[in-house]
Amino acid sequence: MLKATQLSKTYKSGKALDNASIHLNSGQISGLLGRNGAGKTTLFKILCGLITPDAGKVSIASKKQKPIGAVIEEPGLYTYLNAYDNLKVFSQIQGAPTDITTLENCLKEVGLPLNRKDPVRNFSMGMKQRLGIAIALLNNPDILILDEPFSGLDPTGVASLSKLIKQLANRKIAILLSSHLMAELHKVCDDLYIIDNGKIINQGLTQDIIDSQVTIYTITGKNIENSDFIQSYIVQKEKNKVTIKCDSEAISEILKSLLDDRFKVTSCVPNITLEQLLNPVSK
Amino acid sequence: MMLPLLKTELFKLFRESKTWYAIAAVLLIELIILVAAYYQGAEILDLLLENLQQSFYFEGNLLNGNLLLYIVLNSLWFNLPLILMIVSSSLITDEYKNGTLKTLMLQAVDKRKLILAKFIASLIFTVLMLLLLMITTFVLAYGIFGTGDLVVYLGTLNFFPSEEAFKRICFAFASGTISMIFFTTVSITLGIFLKESAKTWIASAFFLILSSLLLKAKFGLGAVESYFFPKLTNSWQRFFDYEVDVSSILLDNSVLGIYIILVVLIGTYYFKKQDVG
Repeated sequence: MLKATQLSKTYKSGKALDNASIHLNSGQISGLLGRNGAGKTTLFKILCGLITPDAGKVSIASKKQKPIGAVIEEPGLYTYLNAYDNLKVFSQIQGAPTDITTLENCLKEVGLPLNRKDPVRNFSMGMKQRLGIAIALLNNPDILILDEPFSGLDPTGVASLSKLIKQLANRKIAILLSSHLMAELHKVCDDLYIIDNGKIINQGLTQDIIDSQVTIYTITGKNIENSDFIQSYIVQKEKNKVTIKCDSEAISEILKSLLDDRFKVTSCVPNITLEQLLNPVSK
Repeated sequence: MMLPLLKTELFKLFRESKTWYAIAAVLLIELIILVAAYYQGAEILDLLLENLQQSFYFEGNLLNGNLLLYIVLNSLWFNLPLILMIVSSSLITDEYKNGTLKTLMLQAVDKRKLILAKFIASLIFTVLMLLLLMITTFVLAYGIFGTGDLVVYLGTLNFFPSEEAFKRICFAFASGTISMIFFTTVSITLGIFLKESAKTWIASAFFLILSSLLLKAKFGLGAVESYFFPKLTNSWQRFFDYEVDVSSILLDNSVLGIYIILVVLIGTYYFKKQDVG
């Protein structure tokens, strides 16, 4: 759907992007992970045509009038207008339908209430993010790019936005998103790009990338800390929760043993930091 | 594609509280002029015409609607263009500040058409403001002060019969509208270059003051004296010369029209060329 090859961009302050290549497929959710200033936003802006790269090429296999919809940095909204009027303004300028039914469906799709008639300056960050996504989805783009969509959201907001992103991918939209929240990217993204100092330093299936570096897991379950089998792995334990150290191959054996010993495991979460992915260690 | 963009720009413009504050400010200035004239006008006029009244007999009321219209017309020197420039430049600087320009550029919108729509919206707003100023002043000035002959001091005292004064005032408003469009067009282009509201307002005020200063300056070069833009922005006042040189005013307004197109082209070119975000 989208193929960007060897993109480079240099600002007065230095090189923001260095030979970065990325490709997005229809219905696939891709994540872009990197520190602040790693080049994520510059890459997004180039993909959307907001800025011109010094080198490299972006090709998009779409015949849509608007191939890419995006929310980059904070959603830019007319804060003195309400959500409906914001949608109407952005629809009208590109000749998209502006009838009440279509616009109300757009609001419903992203889970925004229809009864809010006040200006969007009164909206929470989560609601602004949702409206930003609704605007990005106007004119049915094939690709959706979301820059830090989870920032400023509470856990409920993060969970419901993750659900929405998955629903959009089910509509065969190719999605690219960036986030600092490792857990959310792990849950949502099919594949992952790791960017550092403007370079894509690692890429692949999210599960493979996480598995290759994860060594710590948090397992929760009733009285799980009393299991004899995991005692040798435990690095920290609390009531009904243990943190263990093992590699990704051992974790399935550990979980199987816990189940065999009739412990009810309620969750098993890999603990991995951005630093681990940026500075991978060979196992 | 241009029409929806234009409709949207006008919709946004009239939904901004800033626009209504600007309209209120213009009307308030007009009202203050009328109230001041009502209470002190006769006194000031007597003071100004003291010497002449010793030699001539003035028939009728010189403090009339036509004089008030002429006084309000003098808003075209500074306060009205400044207010119009602030509102017009906000059409672009607010979009930069709120990040909405980025959102606009992420839609299926042509950059050139978008900025042209802003220039046209500003032009329409300017014309509407001049019309509003003209109509409200006509209604209030004639309603309160009635009609009468117009006395204007432009180096020398010129007297115009009431009917002729009315025509000259109408033409002056029309000519002044072109000057105002020039200033608002400049303010949008300044906004494109400077991006920030405060910087653009300061640059606009500076441009306005500079234009007024250069208008009085003598350059000694025929072409500069005739066609340098500051020399063209006061054509409206030439309708109060005793002998009106219509063809010269038309030529000046046409040249100012060319300046307007040039400023629009520069603004559009730079906007299209630069990255957003």
